Amino acid sequence: MSNAVKLRADQLEIVRSGKKVLGGISFDVASGEVYALLGGNGAGKSTTLLGFLGLLPLSGGSIFVNDIEVGSDLKKVREAIAYLPESVSLYEHLDAYENLRYFLQLAGTPYDRSKVEAALDRVSLDLESRGRKLTGYSKGMRQKVAISLAILRDTEILLLDEPTSGLDPAAIDEFHDLVRDLASSGKTVLMVTHDVYGACQVADRIGLMQDGKLVGEFTAADGERIQTETVHRAFSDRHPKNPQVA
Amino acid sequence: MKTALTIAAEEWRYWIRSKLALAVIALFAVMLVSVSWVTVLRMQAASAELDHHQAEAEETFVAQPDRNPHRMVHYGHYVFRSPVPLASFDPGLDSVTGQAMFLEGHRQNSATFSASAASGDPGGLSWLTPALTYQVFAPLLLILLGHSAVVREREARVLPSLLAQGVSGRSLMAGKILALLVFILLLLVPLGVIALLAVTTGESLMAAAALVGVYFLYLSVWGGITVLLSSAFSKRSSVIAALAAFWLMVTLVLPSIAVNVASVTAPLAGKIEMELAMLTEQKDLSDGHSVSNSQVEQLSAELFQQYGVNRLEDLEINIRGLLAQKAEEKLTLAMNAYADKRMASELRQTELLTAQGWLTPMIAVAAASRAISGTDMQHYHRFLRQAEELRYDFVQDINQVHAEQLSYVDDINRNRDEESYNRSRVDAANWQLLDEFRFDTASASSRLASAGTPIGMLLFWLAVLFALLTWTGGRLKP
Ligand SMILES: Nc1ncnc2c1ncn2[C@@H]1O[C@H](COP(=O)(O)OP(=O)(O)OP(=O)(O)O)[C@@H](O)[C@H]1O
Ligand SMILES: [Mg+2]
Repeated sequence: MSNAVKLRADQLEIVRSGKKVLGGISFDVASGEVYALLGGNGAGKSTTLLGFLGLLPLSGGSIFVNDIEVGSDLKKVREAIAYLPESVSLYEHLDAYENLRYFLQLAGTPYDRSKVEAALDRVSLDLESRGRKLTGYSKGMRQKVAISLAILRDTEILLLDEPTSGLDPAAIDEFHDLVRDLASSGKTVLMVTHDVYGACQVADRIGLMQDGKLVGEFTAADGERIQTETVHRAFSDRHPKNPQVA
Repeated sequence: MKTALTIAAEEWRYWIRSKLALAVIALFAVMLVSVSWVTVLRMQAASAELDHHQAEAEETFVAQPDRNPHRMVHYGHYVFRSPVPLASFDPGLDSVTGQAMFLEGHRQNSATFSASAASGDPGGLSWLTPALTYQVFAPLLLILLGHSAVVREREARVLPSLLAQGVSGRSLMAGKILALLVFILLLLVPLGVIALLAVTTGESLMAAAALVGVYFLYLSVWGGITVLLSSAFSKRSSVIAALAAFWLMVTLVLPSIAVNVASVTAPLAGKIEMELAMLTEQKDLSDGHSVSNSQVEQLSAELFQQYGVNRLEDLEINIRGLLAQKAEEKLTLAMNAYADKRMASELRQTELLTAQGWLTPMIAVAAASRAISGTDMQHYHRFLRQAEELRYDFVQDINQVHAEQLSYVDDINRNRDEESYNRSRVDAANWQLLDEFRFDTASASSRLASAGTPIGMLLFWLAVLFALLTWTGGRLKP
């Protein structure tokens, strides 16, 4: 069942602070697939991920993880998902090991030092930093710890919100390799990104979001030119130029 | 449960790393040690001094020479109430209720303040007791340490990842509370030490343990409130503002309103008004010396029949001593009725104050603490009753000596000349009849019973908080 649908949104609607932020989006992601959500600021990408985690109430439609309706069994849903939040949320007063140990402990994943070292190697966090408190980390270093946490959870599904933000180009390349490896080992990856070319490189499918709607969907097989043009339109339409300045 | 333990352990690591717990504990330790030191020393000094006064008063009384018995009734005696063992933690009402009393025939005097170390307060700081430190300042430390428990995670955006990882809001709150409970146990160590010291000076272990237990309940209420409010806001500054306002209300504003409400709703008749009323009534009764003619006639008739004589001079017993006993008994009944009335109204006022513990746990814990320590209104009344019992006993015993050892003839002729007067004296050995006075508390179980209602209030507060915490935990917002 390598093509089983792992994530499914059906006419998903979410209201935040009285504003309809998601206006009925539908898509699904199968196991072994990498799906990228692309779109301008405030399009509703992060909100979509929070919806899958059951962290926001739905105002319409439905949402499934592993064929389980999210609201019906939050515990099971959250066990199946590793989530990388948009802004790194780790403890500043702990070092990388302590952070990983704590969060893995809470998630009920056994802590295995050699696996942890392997994961940190995988994101190439330099050795001497690992035992230092996060207060002294750069943005990219924190991001690396957060990514390694998501890998270590060893869940079927990964929800990654702007995973490459803060990473240098070499680290981004390594990350893309990592995601491809995860997918080929059968994991399902739903990631949010602003990196158009990166998305084309790593994703099997790309969903284009605009104003809380899914306005287009591409596969890696689509020509890069078409993608780029459409994407540019999606990013610029929301911000019409000030006519007086133009 | 495992998750809660993990979170509690992490909270402690955070406190230790941020040096916060250490600073808070050091602050409390310095404050408590100095306050306890001063209070314990003050109570010890008071105890030594009052015990000394008591022994001296007893010695003086029994060392009186041969005297006319009725003069001894008026010579009187002093009793002193030395602080109970747990007063060194919670002196309660001791500082406002007086600890010395002059006992004499025909009168019930008010308790006064002995010029002793217990009332001397050169620094004006005697109001700050270990009990008050626990009631007012320990909550502040809990707030200092615990206010950020949940809001810190929210501000650092860790809360969404924790929830996304399957950590439930409830176990998160449970973990934070668990961490605070461990801290509360630590805060209670000094109280435990003071309580154990009290046990070595005669306090019951049960009462000492109950006192520690009551403060555990009280501080747990504060732990619950702290975590609850920490989860209710999205900004740390709002949490601090809310907790500070709550602390001010609960520990300062509401208690002072409560005291006013109690004294306005159940006013005490002024002591002086009451004594005047009593004196007026006493005029009709007798002043303890003269008895009505009908009484004299009735008693004489009884005695004549009993002894088979028909003259007072021929009786083997001195009727004047018996008449003095009768007069004292009647007068005492009247005075006791007044005293009971006054005590009842004082108790009503106290109960009214305690009832407001439903509104602020500070009043509940203060009431429970005083009741268990033996420094509440009931124990003040216990002192008044014990003193009155001693007074009545020695006055009536002396009247008995008067009846049995001083002949009627010598008695009525005592003012004729000096030799007659000397014949009206009785042997000094009689003054040994005085009992020793030692104020003691009610039994531990009856003190606990009288702390029942305020303990119930604390449990009620905990139950409400538990419900609120469970509810908010179930719907914790990221
Ligand atoms: N915490 C919040 N409370 C209320 N509204 C929010 C909140 N976060 C986001 N929104 C609103 O929801 C909409 C979608 O936000 P979302 O974070 O999903 O966008 P995004 O596509 O992830 O944007 P970005 O690329 O900037 O991360 C925005 O219009 C925003 O105003
Ligand atoms: Mg976003």
